[in-house]
This record gives sequence, C-alpha cells and structure tokens, in this order.
Amino acid sequence: MMNKKTLLFSVLGIAALGVLPVALHNPYYLHLAETILIYAILLFGLDIVVGYTGQVSLGHAGLFGVGSYTTGVFYFKLGLPIFFALPASIAVTAVFGALLALPALRVTGPYLAMVTLAFGTIIQILINEMTFLTEGPMGIKLGKPILFGQKLGEVGYFYLVAVMMVLAMIVVHRIVRSHLGRAFQALRDSPIASDCMGVSVYRYKVYAFVISAALAGLAGSLYAYSEEYISPNTYNFELTIMFLLAVIMGGRKTRSGSLLGAMIVVMLPSLLADIELFRQIATGAAVIGLVVGALAVAKQRKTVREIIVPVVATVAMAVFSYRLENITDWRLTIFGLMTLFVVYYLQDGIVGFVNSLMGKAPKHLLAKLSDSNESDANAIVKASGAQAGILLSARQLLMQFGGLKALNQVDLQIAKGTVHGLIGPNGSGKSTMMNVLTGIYKPTDGVVEFGGQVISGTTPSSIALGGVARTFQNVQLFGEMTATENVLVGLHNTFHSNVLDVMLHTPRYLREEREARSRAASILHFVGLADLANEEARNLPYGKQRLLEIGRALGLNPQLLLLDEPAAGLTAPDIKDLIAIIRKIREYGITIILIEHHMDVVMSICDTVTVLDFGQKISEGKPAFVQADPKVIEAYLGGSVSDELGSTPAPSAAVATAASA
Amino acid sequence: MEILLQLVFSGIALGMIYAVIAFGYQLTFATSGTLNFGQGEALMLGALVGLSLVGTIHGGPYLNYWLMIPIVIAFGALQGVVVEWIGVRPAIKIKSEFGWIMSTIALAIIFKNVAENIWGKDDLTFPSPLSATPFQVLGANVQPMQLVVVFGALAMMLAVELFNRKSIYGKAVVATSNDRDAAGLMGINTRMVITFSYALSSATAAFAGVLVAPLTLTGATMGSALGLKAFAVAIIGGLTSGVGAIVGGLLLGVAETLTGFYISTGYKEVPGLVLLLLVLAVKPAGLFGKAAIKKV
Repeated sequence: MMNKKTLLFSVLGIAALGVLPVALHNPYYLHLAETILIYAILLFGLDIVVGYTGQVSLGHAGLFGVGSYTTGVFYFKLGLPIFFALPASIAVTAVFGALLALPALRVTGPYLAMVTLAFGTIIQILINEMTFLTEGPMGIKLGKPILFGQKLGEVGYFYLVAVMMVLAMIVVHRIVRSHLGRAFQALRDSPIASDCMGVSVYRYKVYAFVISAALAGLAGSLYAYSEEYISPNTYNFELTIMFLLAVIMGGRKTRSGSLLGAMIVVMLPSLLADIELFRQIATGAAVIGLVVGALAVAKQRKTVREIIVPVVATVAMAVFSYRLENITDWRLTIFGLMTLFVVYYLQDGIVGFVNSLMGKAPKHLLAKLSDSNESDANAIVKASGAQAGILLSARQLLMQFGGLKALNQVDLQIAKGTVHGLIGPNGSGKSTMMNVLTGIYKPTDGVVEFGGQVISGTTPSSIALGGVARTFQNVQLFGEMTATENVLVGLHNTFHSNVLDVMLHTPRYLREEREARSRAASILHFVGLADLANEEARNLPYGKQRLLEIGRALGLNPQLLLLDEPAAGLTAPDIKDLIAIIRKIREYGITIILIEHHMDVVMSICDTVTVLDFGQKISEGKPAFVQADPKVIEAYLGGSVSDELGSTPAPSAAVATAASA
Repeated sequence: MEILLQLVFSGIALGMIYAVIAFGYQLTFATSGTLNFGQGEALMLGALVGLSLVGTIHGGPYLNYWLMIPIVIAFGALQGVVVEWIGVRPAIKIKSEFGWIMSTIALAIIFKNVAENIWGKDDLTFPSPLSATPFQVLGANVQPMQLVVVFGALAMMLAVELFNRKSIYGKAVVATSNDRDAAGLMGINTRMVITFSYALSSATAAFAGVLVAPLTLTGATMGSALGLKAFAVAIIGGLTSGVGAIVGGLLLGVAETLTGFYISTGYKEVPGLVLLLLVLAVKPAGLFGKAAIKKV
C-alpha cells in the first residue's frame, strides 16, 4: 500500500522531470530548474550530516567549491572529458571530506561548527591564491560536456543532471535506511551508547562526512558544467548558510524536504528581485501571521507572550517592505530572518510541519509481524568457549579524577557463567568500575583482562565488539528511533555489507537486513516488548526503556553483560519480569555483572557479591556472607556497629533497609 | 632584524585584539555554555558606530575619540543584550545547541547586511586620535596607537577580572559559570547573569573594534575574519583560561604578520585557521584548558 503510493509519486516525479524542458521554453527557467536539482544533490548529502548525525557543518560551500574546481581544473588544464572529471570530482571531494572529518572527530557542536567554518574559509583562500592551478579570482571558463561524441545542449545537460539527481536520491535513501543510516542517527542521539554498541562514533562520523562530501563533489562538478564559469567568490560563507537554511527549512531527514529547500533558496533571489511581488508576499505573510496568532490566542493554545515576537516581526517586515526601494540589498537580512524563524518556529521544516498538520508521524521502517520468531533461541546467542574459569579479571585498578580516587587498587575477578553483584553506597565507585570495564574511562593504573586479553586502554567500541555489552544507569536509548531500530543498532555487528552493498542492494545486504530484522523481533519478544516494536524509544514508559536497553545489549551477542541499576525506578511486577529475564539470559551461559540497590534482587539472583566503599573493595563472597559482614553494615549505616548501636541488630535486615532507603 | 622586530610589534598589537575578542567568547561560554558566532560583527558594529561619532561620515564629528569610547561600549552592551534575547535565550529554553548556533549566525548575517546598507560596502578610514608618527624602540617603528591597543586591551580584561573577583555581582557571574543550577537555587537570577555576560562580551568586542579601527580599515566585512580567528585563539588558549587567551592571541598575531610579510598577504589568514584545526585535532580543550570529564 505504502509502496504503491511511493511508486506513484516516483513515476509522477520522473515524468515531471522529463516534461520540464519541453514545458519551459525559456532557457533561463530551465537553468533555474537545473540549479535546483544540483543543489538538491548537495542537500541530500548535507542532510546526512545535519539531519542524521545532528552536526552543524559550515564547510559545505567549501566542499562544493572543491568539486567544481576539480572538474574545472581537469577540463581547463588537461582537457579531460566528463567521464573522467565527474568521478574525479567525487573522489577528490570525498578525500577533502575525510580531511575535514579528522579534526572534527574529537569535537561536536559549536567546536565542530567553527572547525568546518575554518575549513570552508581555507578552501576559499586556497582557490583564490593558488593561481597556477585555479586561475585565482579570474575564474575558469568551461564548455558543456561532450557525451558519446556529442556536445550536450541545454536540454541534454538538464536530462543528465536530472538522472544524476534521481540516482543520488536513491543512493542516499538506501544508505539512510540501512545499518549505516541507523548508526548515524544513533551517534546523534547518544554517542556513548553508540560506542558501547560497537558502533564507533569516530568511524561513522567520518563515513557521514565522506558520503556527504562525495555528494557535494558531484553537485559541484555538475554546477561547473552548468554555469560554464566558476570563480572563487561563489563558494563563500553565505552559500553555506543558504545550504543550511535549505535543509532545515525544507525538513530534515527527508528527501522531499531537501528538494523543497533547494527550490526555495534558488527561487528566492529571483522572487526578491521583484519588489512588488515581495511586498505582496510580505503582506500575505503578515496577514497569515496575525490570523494564526489571533486564533491560537483565542483558542488558548498559546499565550500572547509566546507569539508576540514572530507576529510583530512579520508585520514589521511587511511595513518595512513598502519603505524599501531596492530589495536585493537586503537579501541577506531576509535570509537571516528566515533562518531565525525556521530555527524557532519551524524546527521540523515545511515537510515536517505539513506532516504534523496531517497527523502523520515521522516515517520509520515498520517491523512486520511476520518477522517475529518467538523462540528465545533466536534472540540470544549462547556464550561461546569453556563454561568455567575466569572471564574477566581486573587487577589493581586505580581511577583518579584530580585528587579523588574513585577506584583505589581494586581487584575484581568474574567467574564465567555467574551473576556477579556489585553493590556499595552511593559514590562508592560502582559506575566508575562499569565505565572502566567498558573503556569509557581509561584507568589511571591497573589492567583489565577479558577472556585472557588486555582490554584496558582500547576503545569502547572494540571492547563492545569483543563481547562486553552494557546498559546505563541513566537510560541512554536512541530516543528518535523505534524500539526495533534501537535493537538493530545493537545488531550492527552482524552486518558485513559495505557502502557499495547498500547502494546496490546486493543479495548479501538484503539477507543481512532480513536476518537482523527477524532477530530484532525475537529479542523484543524476549524482553516483552513485542507490542511496542514500532514505538519511538523516547515515548516508552521508563520501565520498558530499561528492558529495551537490555534487549539492545543482547544484540551484541555478549559474553559478558553489565547491568547498571536495571531495577531502578521499576514497579514491583516489572522487577519480577526483570529477574526472570536475567535468569533466562544466564541460562545461555552469558556472564552478568549486576549493579543494584534493590537488595532483594541482588540477594536472590547473584552467585557472588562484591562490595565497594570509597573506591575500595571491602567485602566479597556469597550473598549471605556479604550480608552478614560487619564492614558492609558499617559502610551502609556508618560508624562502628558495636560502639554506636550497642546491641547488634539482625544484619541482613539492616542492609536491606539501608539499601532500599 | 629590524623588520622582524617591527613585524613582532605589529603582531603583538593585532594579537591583543584577538585576545580581547577571545575573552568575550569565554565570558558567555562560562555562564551559559553558548557562544556568539557574531562576535566579529559586534566588533564591526562598534567600530562603525565609533566612526559615525568621530568621523565625518554622518555629519560629524560629534565627539572626540576618548569620549566616544564609553558610548560605543554602552552600544556594544545593548547589542549583546539583543543577541542574547533573540538568539540565545529561546535556544537555552528548548535546550537546542543547533538553535543558538544557527540563530547567532543568522543575527551576524543580519548585522553585517544592515551595516552594509548604512555604512556602505567599501572600507572607510578611521581618524587616528594620536599622531601617526612612529617612535623607535630597538630600531623598530612603533605607532603610538599600537601602544594604546595593547594597554587598552589589557585594561579591559583586567577590569572584567577585577569585577568578577571583587564585586558581589561578579560572584554571581562566577557562581553561575561553576554550576548554573546550583546558582539558580541559591537565589541568583541566572538568566540575568547570562544576559549580562552577553552584554559584557559584546561590549568588549565593540571596544576592541574602536581600538583596532585606527590601525586598519573599517567596514562591514571587517568582523567575520576577526571573529573566526579570535575563536581560534579562544580554542588554542582554552575556553576557560584568560591567560590562555592572551598567549594564544599573541601567538596568532605574530604568526600572522610574519606570514603576511614572508609568504603572501593572501595567506595571512591561514596560520590561524590551521592552528585551530591542529589544536582541535590534538588537544580539544586547548593549551591552557582543562578537559571536562564526561559523566555517564
């Protein structure tokens, strides 16, 4: 049903592209349409960085310039044909994208924005200064490309661009729907959880930039042939802002949004050239703003305070438009105002806004019921190797934050196939231990060995891929992704397909995707979330989110599963389910480390319990032994038992009360 | 040798300007974790408003250079309040990093475009309040205005530091930078403090604008590159270290004048940007900054 609709739209869209040159006799309009398509290609790529990985790139005009100039230089200096220049542009720009990603690896947010801005500025300077290659400010003249011995005319070239745009759209669509796209989204929602699911944040950020840059290169190359003249001034900061405005205004994470955004930013300057038209548009916008604002206030959906700024701004713009003689001088101010408006009042872009008006939720690839395989055996992979011995051993772990020793010379030995409890008062170093074991913190001193190999000092993602999975004390789900997609990120390690497989939908990729989906359905069934498979993770109730984290961790096929306070905030029936799930996981030979404050949970399922206090191990042994250990009671209740309490109360009761308090 | 010394002197003057702008970045980053991407435009507006007051461009001169400075600082503070109010506060409310990055950039574009329409697109000369005749230090020429730049910049930073350390209002600023939530619970109006930090930040930038203007040309486009390079300085020095800003500024200023002379003026922007990329790739917290520990 969905597919038929998509097919219909695709056929209509392609037909429209085919008819366009015939319908538009005016070469100026044809060129405008061509520019829209070229921008759209770049925006598909920019959307991967901005929409999917959630980073701000101010360097895409620079990448666009690299693409244009690669083609320009090959054409002008060496006279090479498009068959060579176009792929070369893509490749060279992709390399620049990787270069840009290298410093960007370690930074996010405003730092990344500035890095990309610096990169864009350097590119523009280089183009300007490297006269021997780029002819500097003079620019380079090109002719339309020759294809199969025929020089393409305006119409012929339009068709070439249209074909490229459709191809780019399909490729990007396939990539973002694949495990790669899920990795991109995962690293935006929670970088730490991505790393701990074996999805290396560094690596996938580079991938995102490289793919994005390749598309910018393609667009740049096509642009050079389209304009037939390129000069450094085109690729400036304002172009970058225009690209960003287009992506967020059209709507992130949709191809239609990118197309719409391209259309707006390309047409806008020509619209603005006509002052009369601009006055009409501004007046219209002011009227709409006033009416919508008045309605919202009347219906008490918004207060006057909330809407006053945009309403006054639109009205002021309308008034202002009648006082202006020449609108082109104020073009950038209008771009700036539009950006402000979009950032605060149209966050999901036009496409998102229209969808929400029509009551449509953001699109997710829905899990089908037929995917489900209800056997637990499909959900969990039995832990491999010998069933006895030491699985993980930490020796003399020291973790120092400034003067604070969060872990002080702690030894920890985890026997295979056991449930090992880790308890201690708040601030005793339990979570620090988790973070050291999973590689999020590098220990100041000491060694962690897992399955006989030293893992301390390696990256979280390689530790995760080695078979150590975890959940988080403060839930770290990928909020905008469905339960199924969250588990699929956990299953990322089962994919061996590369970008080419994804682009071409090779049998290998299709098989892996099918298997992963079936596995994900089984895992969700195992943790009791089968009914909620298509629900976005952020909308799940808290208890279910914790279960989903366990399901996601199971996707890694772990040998060792670290559960950080899985019962925190759970209701009594939920805790019962949780205990049952933990027991079942253990039946598959998976070793579990359990941090928990609910003593009844700890006492009922742990084989061994280690107690930490102030970063030191104060007790270890069978649950009953630990429960009776005076040192443990002292840690929880404070003071010396015999001195302060006089008579010794029943120790187990004391621990239980203290811990659940 | 004399040429080298000469270049180092002008590098120091330029570097102090970078340091002041970088200092402005630090002020807002400390209180709110946000930056004004239009810091360079705040400088540019300060310089142009100053020019209108002391120059002949809008029917002036109305004031002499020294009297104009407090007015420009007040104007800068006002401009900072506007940026915070329109661009930053709504983004902090919805906790959107993307929001404040984009909106401060959008405001920067608007300011630049407005300035182009008011003061024109061409660069203008700023009348120097002191004689342009240089005096000799170790055989190299030093312009009196360069000294004013260095000492003015130092004085501005010192004043802000003293304010933060000695006054009760300064304590509120420091408290907010340490822990915004806790400061709020102690009865400090943290929103006000953030607004204030933006006012202070833009005021320093505007002040830097009128300091640098007599040495360079003034125009709508003067801000963007300065703002970007000052960000490089802020990063190189670390976003939390005042001394870092000065060291970073001097480093970059000197590197830039040397590149401009020995390689090509076209490339003079490059060392700063490359330095920025390198520092971020190797030590993102900056040379003087402390790395934050991420909590899980």
